Amino acid sequence: MDQHETTRRDFLKAGLVTAAATALGSGIVKPVGLWAATPNIKGPIKIGYLTVLSGTLAGYGEFHKMGALMGVEEINAAGGIAGNKVELEIRDSTLAAPACIQNARYFVDSWGADFLAGVDSSGQALALAPVVGELDRVLMVTHAATEKLTEDEVFKKGIKQVFRICTPTYQDGNAAAFVAKDLPVNTWATINPKYEYGYTTWNMFKDTLGKLKPGVKFTAESWAPFGTTDFRPHINTIMDAKPEGLYSVVWAGELITLVKQAKQAGLFDKIKHVMFPVGAAMDVLEGLGPEMPDNIWISGRYFFLYPDSDRNKEFVARFHKRWNHYPAYVSETAYSTMYAFKKAVEAAGSKETGKVVDALAGMELDSPAGHRVFRKEDHQAMYEVPWGLTKADPKYPFKIMGKQIVIPAKEFFNRPPFEGPGTHPPFKDSK
Amino acid sequence: MLQSLVHVCLAGISAGMFIWLVASGLTLVFGVLRVLNFAHGSFYMLGAYLCFAVLKAMGGNFWLGLLLGPLVVSMVGYVMERYLLRLVYHLELPYQLLLTFAMVLIFDDLVKMIWGAGSIGSPAVPGLSGSVSIAGREFPVYNLFIIAVGPLVALGLYGLLEKTWWGRIVRASASDREMALSIGVNVPLLYSGVFMFGAWLSAVGGALAVPYVGLLTTGMGEAIIISAFIVVVIGGLGSLKGAFLGSLIVGLLSSFGTRFMPMLDMFLTFGLMAAVLLWRPQGFFAEG
Amino acid sequence: MNQYWKYFLMLGCLGALVGIGFVSGPFVLYLATRIMILCIFALGYNLLLGRTGLLSFGHAAFFAIGAYGLAITSIHISAHPLLGILIGVTAAALLSLCIGFFCVRHTEIYFAMLTLAFGMMVFALIWNLRSITGGDDGLYGISRTAISLGIVNIPIRKDYQFYYFVLLFFVASVFLIHRIYSSPFGLALAGIRENHIRAEFAGLSVKAYRLGVFTVSGAFAGLAGSLSALLESNVAPFSAHWSHSAEPVLVSLIGGLQTFSGPLVGSIVFVALREVLQRFTYNWMFWFGVLLLAIIIGFRGGIVGSISDAFRKYSRP
Repeated sequence: MDQHETTRRDFLKAGLVTAAATALGSGIVKPVGLWAATPNIKGPIKIGYLTVLSGTLAGYGEFHKMGALMGVEEINAAGGIAGNKVELEIRDSTLAAPACIQNARYFVDSWGADFLAGVDSSGQALALAPVVGELDRVLMVTHAATEKLTEDEVFKKGIKQVFRICTPTYQDGNAAAFVAKDLPVNTWATINPKYEYGYTTWNMFKDTLGKLKPGVKFTAESWAPFGTTDFRPHINTIMDAKPEGLYSVVWAGELITLVKQAKQAGLFDKIKHVMFPVGAAMDVLEGLGPEMPDNIWISGRYFFLYPDSDRNKEFVARFHKRWNHYPAYVSETAYSTMYAFKKAVEAAGSKETGKVVDALAGMELDSPAGHRVFRKEDHQAMYEVPWGLTKADPKYPFKIMGKQIVIPAKEFFNRPPFEGPGTHPPFKDSK
Repeated sequence: MLQSLVHVCLAGISAGMFIWLVASGLTLVFGVLRVLNFAHGSFYMLGAYLCFAVLKAMGGNFWLGLLLGPLVVSMVGYVMERYLLRLVYHLELPYQLLLTFAMVLIFDDLVKMIWGAGSIGSPAVPGLSGSVSIAGREFPVYNLFIIAVGPLVALGLYGLLEKTWWGRIVRASASDREMALSIGVNVPLLYSGVFMFGAWLSAVGGALAVPYVGLLTTGMGEAIIISAFIVVVIGGLGSLKGAFLGSLIVGLLSSFGTRFMPMLDMFLTFGLMAAVLLWRPQGFFAEG
Repeated sequence: MNQYWKYFLMLGCLGALVGIGFVSGPFVLYLATRIMILCIFALGYNLLLGRTGLLSFGHAAFFAIGAYGLAITSIHISAHPLLGILIGVTAAALLSLCIGFFCVRHTEIYFAMLTLAFGMMVFALIWNLRSITGGDDGLYGISRTAISLGIVNIPIRKDYQFYYFVLLFFVASVFLIHRIYSSPFGLALAGIRENHIRAEFAGLSVKAYRLGVFTVSGAFAGLAGSLSALLESNVAPFSAHWSHSAEPVLVSLIGGLQTFSGPLVGSIVFVALREVLQRFTYNWMFWFGVLLLAIIIGFRGGIVGSISDAFRKYSRP
């Protein structure tokens, strides 16, 4: 829909305006903090958004789009960023790196984007990081979760232009271990995706849980390739091993399939403690509806009923009114990204990449998901997402989190320099 | 151990039967029309979506969806054969493949335009939703139903092709097109009929897969079509008997592979396919 | 007369390509570089498809080996781009020799399926050998270091520098492939395509010729892969997936199988079409499919073939 609003003529117009802005703009007035006093931000602020809009995960792209659009609409209705209108364009970047890179280059080199955001797959994020370094534009990652992005690309290699607003694999691996340590479970098994995300999270979970609860055993692993529709063979492997707990970061539609097929196999009767680190995603909860069993540990990158703040409640209400959906986690991260850009540009008094990077590093952001801080060293947003047990609620046609556990981000996020003692949880300073 | 083996076998057989429903139409169409149809997987997807659409419109009646959805798909198949494929029969193999490939792109996006991009959760079939205990572990009734449906379809196809007038014509024109023409068979009509029937079979496969997989996604046809290709090659292009046995082998191989040789995964099926092609290119079970 | 026209046209194209490097913005340069890489892939591929009629679904594997060869060399041995390309192309040629040895026994659909099977086994290997290939994350951050030639260092880091670097390989490839077409080897291939039984009677070892052209086209796929790893600064396993093998098929068919310049025109149409469609619609796949149908049905000899046919018809009577 938005695609059609931006016609060819708009492209040309926008191009001229940005060209004029760069010609006149920079360096005349030194920024003094308040944007009202900094007329050197000229023309619309252009944000290029990269997400998947085709194939089996196209639904995630739609949820990105809803969040990003709503954020831009709100900001523009309230006067834009530093008095400038925000323009958003979204491109189907599939899940493959070349498509993502081509779109990023199009946005920056042809369309004249000031900022980039989005990115779904970890492979794309890692491939894109050096490219945005070259293009010299800020990229805010809203979905891809690989810790290598912030630990290696930003911290070790110093690609300062990359930021991430969503929780990384720490939430799926480390935080899960903090929840698991208090469960009466001594043997764990997994059905995990047969790609880096699955391997990394399972290793993180094993590593952290092994330190928190020495003696715990990991008895079986079954790796499901991308696009698995029949989990029965994997379920057989797990049930043969008879573990007390099951851990699985299988996500999106595949998780719906896994839960349905595991239920038919009686897995939830035999294994009492099950953890789905991305089970609190809206597509999964809505897709399963009442079929999601009770008392499953789930989490995500954001859950619309947490935190219990006015900011969040208003956001959820507006979102539901606008789109007739509850916000998925990518909707929240996309939405908050727009506000992060707004705050950073207005604080920097400029939309120049270098200045915005300085403003974003260490910046605090009050967002629906709660209080976020972009860590200076690795540009990773620190905030909390709860882990909770599924339960039915008459107010919703799907299961929500009942009992919730919130682990402080400080306790389970890996710390710079990410290598050597004291960089991986558990940390000594937290009890 | 016994329990484990029984369930690995059951999982393999039911997986094989899902592939069989798609592979049967693929090999039948190839046998007669000599076209390998990439869009056969799209019929699988369309069958699933249309069955779901009917189910929603008719207050949750799965059987009505299973009846009507694939019928609509066979109409789509008719249009595709009559107005597109027919134009490229005389062209080389790459053109035919490319045409069906273009149709995959079109069907995928059409489904997205009509039903939206997100995956849709689908309900279980009333009456077939529970599980029964086999060797001490639950097994879905629905999969037992599929394990029964697969051989029934095979029997039906056998009867249709061996015992009916129509079947004899199909077999005759599959083995010798010129002869069929010369004895007055309306070949264009026959081609349309076979293509529609193949599309219908694939759509039935898609509609039947949905309650087990539990959701509908655009692009769901791409995953199954490669398995079906492998099966059809292993069984011998154009051989229904081969496709049936090939489906069972591929289903069992991936089930046993996942359980006992998890690191080999894709090598098993593709390796088997390569081996068959090198050793017996006419297929494992090709007659003569 | 005809000959002159050809040279004139070729010089014109070359001049335009050199000119693009001077005047274009970075995005056009990037797209143009990408098109040239795809051209190399498709021209090499069309040696096999156009000349021998063999349809391969495994060439993505050779592309990927070329790319991984360069990436692994650049990470572990030396970041010298020419060394990386040399290793990438050699690896691709060797792999296509091995796979080709088995595949050329068959033709038609059996050949296609056999190459599909081998290609997907390479894909699975790349996906699973995580310690070497990085699994699904692939290898990333491949830098374009300057080419050191003893005394001088030629930088290829900037977009326009790399554009000329690729242009050099592109022109060399076009020249080489053109030579192959008109060489005795190429003519023998054409003979085999027309009638392989007669060719065999004439004393040609059909299989050896097929294997030869399979290997050559695999090596060009490897070259395209190496260059693409340098362009995108990363390589991922999906570059070995069968769906990527479909790309040179599409490109060759769009342009025209039986013409030399078909893949060139096809590559331009393929990349530009998708880029343009994306500017107007999210449903680019749908429109891409529709346009493909139109090309298959409307331009049966591909764009180049149809246009030159029409030209001939127009000029003759």
